[in-house]
Amino acid sequence: MRVVALGATATLALTAAAACGSDEADGDGKTITFVAAEYSDKTEPYWQDLVSRFEKANPGLKVDLQVISWDDIDGHVQNLVLNDKAPDLLNLNKFADFAEDGLLYKAGDVLPKEVLDDFIPSFAESSKFEGEQYGLPFIASARLLFYNKDLFAKAKISEPPKTWDELKEAAKKISDLPGDAIGYGLPLGPEEAQGEFQIWINSNGGHWVDDQGNWTIDSPENLETLQFLKSMVDEGLTQPNPAKTDRADVIEAFAAGRIGMIRGLPQTHNNIADQGNKFEYGIAPNPVAEEGMEPSTLGVQDYLMAFDNGKGAQETLRKFLTFFYQEENYSKFITTEGFLPTTQSASEALSDDEKMKPFVEALPQAKFYPVTDPKWTAVDGAVKQQIGKAVQGTDPKKVLEQLQKTAEG
Amino acid sequence: MTATSKTVPASAATGVGKAGGPPTGKPGAGRPSPGRGKRPGTDHPLTPLLWLGPALLLIAGVVLWPVVEMVLTSVREVSRAGVIRGWAGLENFEALFDEPDLVPVLIRTLIWVVGVVGVTLLISLGLAQLLNARFPGRKLVRWAMIVPWAASVVMTAIVWRWILDFFHGMGNTILLDLGLIDAPRDWLGEPGLAWLWLMWVAVFVSLPFTTYVLLAGLQTIPGDVYEAAQVDGASRWRTYRTITLPLLKPAVLVATVINVINVFNSFPIIWAMTRGGPGHDTDTTTTFMFKLLRLDKEVGQSAAMAVLNFLMIVVMVLFYLKAVRWKEVD
Repeated sequence: MRVVALGATATLALTAAAACGSDEADGDGKTITFVAAEYSDKTEPYWQDLVSRFEKANPGLKVDLQVISWDDIDGHVQNLVLNDKAPDLLNLNKFADFAEDGLLYKAGDVLPKEVLDDFIPSFAESSKFEGEQYGLPFIASARLLFYNKDLFAKAKISEPPKTWDELKEAAKKISDLPGDAIGYGLPLGPEEAQGEFQIWINSNGGHWVDDQGNWTIDSPENLETLQFLKSMVDEGLTQPNPAKTDRADVIEAFAAGRIGMIRGLPQTHNNIADQGNKFEYGIAPNPVAEEGMEPSTLGVQDYLMAFDNGKGAQETLRKFLTFFYQEENYSKFITTEGFLPTTQSASEALSDDEKMKPFVEALPQAKFYPVTDPKWTAVDGAVKQQIGKAVQGTDPKKVLEQLQKTAEG
Repeated sequence: MTATSKTVPASAATGVGKAGGPPTGKPGAGRPSPGRGKRPGTDHPLTPLLWLGPALLLIAGVVLWPVVEMVLTSVREVSRAGVIRGWAGLENFEALFDEPDLVPVLIRTLIWVVGVVGVTLLISLGLAQLLNARFPGRKLVRWAMIVPWAASVVMTAIVWRWILDFFHGMGNTILLDLGLIDAPRDWLGEPGLAWLWLMWVAVFVSLPFTTYVLLAGLQTIPGDVYEAAQVDGASRWRTYRTITLPLLKPAVLVATVINVINVFNSFPIIWAMTRGGPGHDTDTTTTFMFKLLRLDKEVGQSAAMAVLNFLMIVVMVLFYLKAVRWKEVD
């Protein structure tokens, strides 16, 4: 009741605010609203600067910017749409729901051809819904194995693991060290359980969907993966209670030198630096289930998407988006936030960054979330709440079957 | 508009004036001769409405309207993007009852409410007795009792969350140093333990209010009743059982009802400390409802859960009031 009541109050406030603010702007489409996700505390200053430079260069056009934390943005956007106040431009990690409801402009409607052609093809491909591109590739990220070289040396492990068996062996040696070092940090808590789980299933040849897009969550490979993870947990090679541990927790603990191995992303470098670079660490490809399999990485892609709110803002959107995707503006966002670019021009400009290199090199083998399927939103939410329990008491098979049901339901 | 709103309070004001003393015979605003037998304030049947109006509007706006909206949403189909696709009939409720986690969550909610309110009442009865006794420093103790109440619940919950944190928590450090445990424990990660810690924090923040309600109740019990009991030679325990407790009943009742509602709806403690996890192991219906909305993005199902919550709290309160026969106590 509280939530709905809160929602209702928020709605009231929003309606009131919108009623006051948009009178003069609504008709001509010269003002656009832009809801952006907050990647770090540098996000808002970046957008404010970009918007003010855009408005200076295009007198009469206006961008109403709102930067929202990742924790709240989903609910916020759902609330806006529910109350017919959808933003004109949105930055989020999914787009297919909105495309399915017919709310979005096609990419070609709001971007000139030269920008469309600049997107790296694999990213453009995963921005399509039913064959049409709606999402605008925004940033990319990848996950690789980070390992603590000091702990590895102490445990007399000569090189990073290449297979699951080697990883388990290494985790065991590290857990057996005197002190409370943890072998492998396994974050299956709600923050990013879907990411950690996908890295594991991919390295066993499994995935959420098959090539035809049919859901295969309860496949034998995925069950085998869960059973392997469960054995790691049962043998005490991970931190206790993976179901509750969030990714941020293990990254912080790794950065403090307390964990042997975790999956990290480009920004993990910064987390380690923030805690004073207390140890030597290395980055390695994700270990595979059996020798001879090709290592893969989890590719994560976020999007921009333009809403067709029927107020003729298409031209303003096109101008703003073209401005943002100019190489120097776009590269600045990528380097400020420490992500990987989704455009070819920015990739070339950023290709000589040492810390980014392993990630850029891993991208061609990246597997993505099945974001082009609108059902992914439901699966994502369910995985976050349930997958951790599968290594901690609940029968893994039952969990996978339940998730499969959510995906197909 | 302004004219009427000016004249009405004027006539009502004279009405109030009349109530104090004998009728003066002066004409009320604009009326030549008010009926002598009539009570003040009844000169126009709609006058009371003008006084009640703002309050009624407020209630309609912040209580009734959200309830209506909630019920409407629970029978609507809302897409995950937030588009209302049409009416859903009872589908949202059917989907909700199909959730395998619903029944465990309901059972947990019951344990949560009974456990927290029960323990709170027991401890508060003792604390109220203590604060009612005379001893040096009583003022200080009474003052200290208010602190958990004055501090924000979210703040208290977050402080406890960090005390109990597996990687960085002070709790583990202290217990390890004292040699009470030999390896750090994940206090909020093991469902059973987490549950106990959540309940402890819920009890902790409920104690001040409950204690003060009971203390106020204790202070209304006249001293001569106790004197009479003493003269009759009643033991202390007997006195407490047959005099204090029955006379404290109204205070206990108020404390229970308010606590039941509070604890049942309690969101910040659970959310700040465990987010209802691992899995749904520390969810109550309130956090479950929030997860349906935020993680599963099922607006309709979440609203259905809200309706269920609403009905449960109404039934609980009615049941409790009937059980203790509210009217007799009055």
